[in-house]
Amino acid sequence: MTKPSVVFDPFSDEYYNDPYDIYLRMQDEAPVYYSAEHDFYALTRHADVAAALKDHETYSSSRGCDLSMIRSEEGVQKSIIFMDPPDHRYLRSLVNKAFTPRAVQSQRETIEHLVDQYLSKVDPEHFDVVADFSGPFPVEVITRMAGVPEEYRQKVREWIDTSLSREPGQMGLTEAGMAASIESGMYYYKLAQDRRANPQDDMISRLIAAEVPDDAGGTRTLDDIEIAGFTSLLGGAGAETVTKLVGSAVVTFARHPEQWEKLRNDRSLLPGAVEEMLRFDGPVHYNVRFTLREATLHGVTIPAGKPVFLMKAAANRDPRAFSDAGVFDIERDRTEAQNMGFGYGIHSCLGAALARLETIIAMDRLLDFMPRYEVQWDGLQRVHMQNVAGYHHVPVKVL
Amino acid sequence: MTKKVVVDYDLCEANAVCMGIIPEVFDLDDQDNLNVLDDEVTPEREQLIREAVRQCPRQAISIVEE
Repeated sequence: MTKPSVVFDPFSDEYYNDPYDIYLRMQDEAPVYYSAEHDFYALTRHADVAAALKDHETYSSSRGCDLSMIRSEEGVQKSIIFMDPPDHRYLRSLVNKAFTPRAVQSQRETIEHLVDQYLSKVDPEHFDVVADFSGPFPVEVITRMAGVPEEYRQKVREWIDTSLSREPGQMGLTEAGMAASIESGMYYYKLAQDRRANPQDDMISRLIAAEVPDDAGGTRTLDDIEIAGFTSLLGGAGAETVTKLVGSAVVTFARHPEQWEKLRNDRSLLPGAVEEMLRFDGPVHYNVRFTLREATLHGVTIPAGKPVFLMKAAANRDPRAFSDAGVFDIERDRTEAQNMGFGYGIHSCLGAALARLETIIAMDRLLDFMPRYEVQWDGLQRVHMQNVAGYHHVPVKVL
Repeated sequence: MTKKVVVDYDLCEANAVCMGIIPEVFDLDDQDNLNVLDDEVTPEREQLIREAVRQCPRQAISIVEE
């Protein structure tokens, strides 16, 4: 008797509904997974994902980080997430000082204020953790830092949500997604032009003033398209991720009420709990790279010029790296293996410290607001997106 | 032959993970500049320094033999 071989189809309902069992089977049966249907490879074991993330000379970001972008003949938008060194370093260094653990402390009051404001408006009987809370607040923080005027900050979130969503079985943008993507691009382009005329104390204005090395050994400034792309990336990265992390965590804690109770009684466990939330069910499941040269592992050779999925969420559940990898334990020994939740190496999450701060504050307030709660399981709704996973709706009732 | 800690300052983004692991070697000042207080990898410190190398999210720290 032979078992049917494992199938990883990143656009299928089976995958969206339960990725983790598929990951375990890929790790055991096909550590270098190949999809004949979509012609891509995927790495799932912790050691392989970590090594590939560090090896940007083999696994390049320059063609994009999702499958449809890598496939596209059009070439990618100029954005740090789609660059290799040295360009990546020049551009990332224009913004990274604003995101260090020390620097993001200046956002603490803003975050606390927003978190309290959104929580004060919800009905404890019918509270949708994502739609009412973890969706709207993070986008306000990052777009405020970037320089998006207040009246457009929630609009940014709608654009991102629409442009990331996929129809089951579909790889590319939906029609609505394409329209949202164009609308947001035009908005940022106009905003860049406005700030060029009237600089403010925000990131867009600092990007306009910045100079980066050019190809001829001199320096140049960024054009409005580059600035629009940069701002759009920051908005997307800062809006979608904490939203999903907090939503998924509320679901996970509902299944592990003893862990919620432990955290409620000892808030000093919060930083460790956030790391475990990221490991156990973090928002970013994979990023796709493009091989610039061939790579051989586990007896399989990946040719040059192929998309390779680096499955961080699988790595974070790899029993080869973590003891009881499938167990949610907020007091887990964190030195056992590197948490891949924020990536690793040159493209590791720029906003990690901000995401941690937002999540710690949000969870701390939720522990007070809903010391005991139940998830309305039939109202739970997963997102269908590429690269990221989580929920659109997590309805709870505070007990 | 001695082993030394080397930081690639082009990669470092002041995440302070290394300082959390072994503050007698790594120190971030209030301007987010990383200073290596003592770059010698002594046998007593080696394990923690290797932990800092591994946990640096930017992979900016290395150990070289001179």
